[in-house]
Amino acid sequence: MSGYLAGVLAIFCINLIFAYGIFVTAAAGQINLGGAGFQAIGAYAAGWLAGQAGLPIAASIMTAALITALVGLLISFPALRTRGVYMVLATFAFGEVVAGFLLHTDVFGGAMGMVVPLHVDLWVLVLAATFVTLLMFFLMATRLGLAMRAINDDEDASVVMGVNVRAVQVAAFTIGGALTGLSGALYALNFGFVEAQYFNALLSIYVLLYVLIGGTQTAWGPLAGTVFFTMLPELFRVGGSARYLIFGIVIVLMMALRPEGIVTRALISRLSPRRLFATGGARGN
Amino acid sequence: MAIEPALTLEGVTKRFGGLAVTQDIRFEVPVGARTALIGPNGAGKTTLFNLISGVYKIDGGRILLDGRPIQALPPRKRVRAGLSRSFQNIRLMPHLSVVENIMLGQHTLASDIGSLLSPLAWQRRSKWRTQAEDSMRRAGIDVDPDAPVSGLPYGLRKKIEVVRALMSRPRLLMLDEPAAGLNPRETAELSAFLKSVAWEGLTLLVVEHDMSFVHDLCDRTVVLNFGRLIYDGPTHGVQDDSQVREAYLGSRRVAAQGAGHVA
Amino acid sequence: MSDSTDIAVARMRLRAPVIAVVVTLVMIALGIALGGKVIAHQVVSGLLLGSIYMTVAVAFTLTIGVLNFLNFTIPTLFMLTGMAAWGLLSGGYLTLAGRGAWLVALAVGVVAAVAASLLVERFTFRYLKMKHGDATEHAIPLVSSLGFLIIFENLVLIAMGSDSQRFAVPFRADLHVAGIVVGVPQLVSCAMAVAVVAALSFVLKRTKIGRALRTIAENPDTASLLGVDVGRVVPVVFILTGLLSGVAGALFTVNYGDVSPFMGDNVGTKAIAAMVLGGVGSIWGAIAGGLVVGLAETLSIQFFGGDSVAMTVWGLVLVIIVLRPKGLFGVAAIGKGKM
Repeated sequence: MSGYLAGVLAIFCINLIFAYGIFVTAAAGQINLGGAGFQAIGAYAAGWLAGQAGLPIAASIMTAALITALVGLLISFPALRTRGVYMVLATFAFGEVVAGFLLHTDVFGGAMGMVVPLHVDLWVLVLAATFVTLLMFFLMATRLGLAMRAINDDEDASVVMGVNVRAVQVAAFTIGGALTGLSGALYALNFGFVEAQYFNALLSIYVLLYVLIGGTQTAWGPLAGTVFFTMLPELFRVGGSARYLIFGIVIVLMMALRPEGIVTRALISRLSPRRLFATGGARGN
Repeated sequence: MAIEPALTLEGVTKRFGGLAVTQDIRFEVPVGARTALIGPNGAGKTTLFNLISGVYKIDGGRILLDGRPIQALPPRKRVRAGLSRSFQNIRLMPHLSVVENIMLGQHTLASDIGSLLSPLAWQRRSKWRTQAEDSMRRAGIDVDPDAPVSGLPYGLRKKIEVVRALMSRPRLLMLDEPAAGLNPRETAELSAFLKSVAWEGLTLLVVEHDMSFVHDLCDRTVVLNFGRLIYDGPTHGVQDDSQVREAYLGSRRVAAQGAGHVA
Repeated sequence: MSDSTDIAVARMRLRAPVIAVVVTLVMIALGIALGGKVIAHQVVSGLLLGSIYMTVAVAFTLTIGVLNFLNFTIPTLFMLTGMAAWGLLSGGYLTLAGRGAWLVALAVGVVAAVAASLLVERFTFRYLKMKHGDATEHAIPLVSSLGFLIIFENLVLIAMGSDSQRFAVPFRADLHVAGIVVGVPQLVSCAMAVAVVAALSFVLKRTKIGRALRTIAENPDTASLLGVDVGRVVPVVFILTGLLSGVAGALFTVNYGDVSPFMGDNVGTKAIAAMVLGGVGSIWGAIAGGLVVGLAETLSIQFFGGDSVAMTVWGLVLVIIVLRPKGLFGVAAIGKGKM
C-alpha cells in the first residue's frame, strides 16, 4: 500500500470512530458541537500517558478512552439541562474551554504542541475502527438502541412509554465520550504530534456534519457520511478549498433535498433482502 | 377488606398561571370498570390525563393507583406501577417499524441490563418479538411487522397505538379519543377489541366524543365542565342530567327546553 | 394582574441598559484610577472592540430570538464585507470614486453581506417552510448555515487567497481628551454601532414590521393565524442580520486595517459568547455582553499578555447556559424560551 493511501486510510479510521462518538448522542436526539474538545482530551491524555508517564500503548489508549467517558458522563448532567440551540451552545462552549485550556497549559506544551514518542501502526486503527463500527451496529440493534431512536423521534412520548430518558441520554454521552476520546488517542499515537490549534471549532463542525449528513437513524449513517466526506475527495484527488467548497454545497443541497441524511431507516428497510424477497408475499404492503 | 379502586382522584387541582384548569376533581374507577370521561372542548379532559400519567405535576390533591399514591412519581414509574395511556394525536415513533413501536411498549418489563443490551433487532424469535407479533395478530393488525409505521393508514396507526399501550401489561389503560377519525366499522372493531381486553381484568378510562362508542363500551361516565366534575354515574343517565345538558347545550336552551316540557 | 407585569417588564427594560452603562463606566473609572493613561487607552480600544462584538452579537441574538435559529453564517457575512471591499479597492474598480473609494467599497461590502444573507434565507427557511412546516422546530437550518459557512469561506479562499490583506484608509485624525489619544474612526465606529443597534431596537418596538417579528418570535403558527405573513417577514430578519454583520465588518476593517478570509472566526465566537453572557434572545443583553467581552479582552491582554480571556469567557458561557440561560443581566428575551 502506498504511503499516501495509508495516510488516507488512517484519517478515515480516526474520523469514523470520531463520527460514531458524535453519532451516539445524535441518535438519542442530542446535538454535540463540542466534539473537538472530547477528541483533544483523548489525544492529550494518551499522548501524555504514553510519552511522559511511560505507560504501555494499549494502557494509554484505554485510559484515555476511560477518561473521556468520565468527562462525557460528567458533562452530560449540565448539558442535559439544556435543549436545542442551548445544547448546541453549551457543547460548543465546552469545546472552546478545552481548546483554551490546552493552549495555555505548559505541561502539555501549550501553543507549541506535544510530541508523542510512541507510535501505533495502521492495522491498529483499522482494527479499532472495525470494532467500533460493529459495536455501534450492535448497540443500535439492542433495546437500548431502540429507546435511543424512540427518544430521537418523540422524547415526551418516550417518557410516557416508561423509558428513562435521562439515563439513556447520559449513557449516550458516556459512550460518545469514550469513542471520541479513543479517536483522539489513536490520532495522537499515529501522528506522533498533537497541538491544541488542531482541535478547533471547525473540527467539531465537520464531524457533526459527517454524522448529520450521513444520517442519525441507523448505524450506517456515520459510515456513509465519513466515507462520503473523507474517502471520496481523496480518491478523486480533489484538494484544498475546492474540496471544502463542494462539501459545503453538498451540505446545503442535502438539507434541502434529503434532510434526514444519506442513509435513512426507510432506505434500509427498502433495501433489506428480506423485504426485497418478501414483496409479492401474502402480506405485501 | 374492600378491594381498592383501580384509580382514585382525591381533589385533583391544577393551575396554569393562576387559572385553575382542573379544580378539586374527585372520582373513583373500580377495578375492571370501563369508564368514559367526557365534557365539552376545553373542559380539562386531556389535562386530567396528563396529570394522571404524570406529564404535568398536580398543584393539589392526591392520585391513587390501586390505593397507592402516585402523584409524586415520575411518568415512567407510573407506567411501572401499572398505568398506561395513548395520545389524542397519534404519537407513534415515525422512524420505527410497527413491531419496534409495539416492542417499545414493553420497555418497563425489559429494562434490566441484560434485556437492554441484548440485540433485539437481530433476534427474530425472541420472546419480546413473539409477544409483540402475537398482540398484533390478536388486535387484527395485519401488516408486515417490519414496515415503517409512518406510511400506514390512520385507523391502523390508531390501533397500533392502543396495542403499544397494552404491552406494558397495565392494570389501568387510559385512551385519549381512541375512536376519533375512525370509520364506523373500525370503531365497532375497536370497541369489540377493548371489551375483550377488559374481560381480562383491565380497567379502562376513555376520553371520547363519539357518544355511541361511549354507550357501546362504557358502563360508567364521568363528565367534566370548566375543570370541574359535574356528573359521575351510569352512562345511560348522562343525557337526563340537567347540569350535563346545560354544559353541552348552554343554559338558555336548557331552560327553554325545560319550559317546553312543562308546557 | 396585567398592570403589575407591565411594570415589571418596563423595569427590566430599564435595568438592562443601566447595568450596561454602569459596568462600562465603572471599568473605565477603575482603569484610569489604577493604571493611568495606558490602561485608559486599553479601555478605549476595548470599547471599540466591544462595539463590534456587540453589533455581531445582536445579529446572532435576533435570529435566535425570532427564528430560534443559531445562524453560523454571521461570521462569514462579517468577513465577506471586508474581503469584498478589499477586492474592489485592490482590483482598481473604484478609481472613479477618487478619495472616497474606500467608503464606496465598504458600502458595497455591506450590500454583499445582505445579499449573501438573503441567499442563506432562500435555502434555509423559505425552502423548509414549504416542505416541513415550521422550520423553527428543526436543526436543519443550523446545519444548512454550517454548510454556507464552509461555502463562503472557501469561495473567498479560492478567489482571494488565504493571506491577510491591508485595507488602507486615507484618513487619520486623533482627538486628545484628558491626555488620552482617541482615534476619530474609533469614535465614529462606536457611534455607528450604537446608532445601528438603537435603530433596530426602535424598529422592533415601534414599527409594524417589528410587531410582526415579535409575534413570530412568540409562535410562528399563532403569528400566521393572526395574519402575519411569515413568508414575507422572515427575510427581514436576514436583511437585518446581513446589515448588522456587514456594518460590524466594515467598522472592523476601517479600524484595524486588516482583512482576511478568517477575520470573522474570532469575532464570531466572541460575539456568541457575548450573546450568551447577556442572555440569548435579548438585544440589550447582547449590547452589554459585547462591551464586557471587548473590555475584558483588551484589559487581559494588557495585564496577562495574550488572549487568556478566551478560556475564562467560554467557561463562564458554559456555566451561564446551564445554570442561568437568561444571562448575567436577567433581561427578558425578545423570543420565547421555546427550546
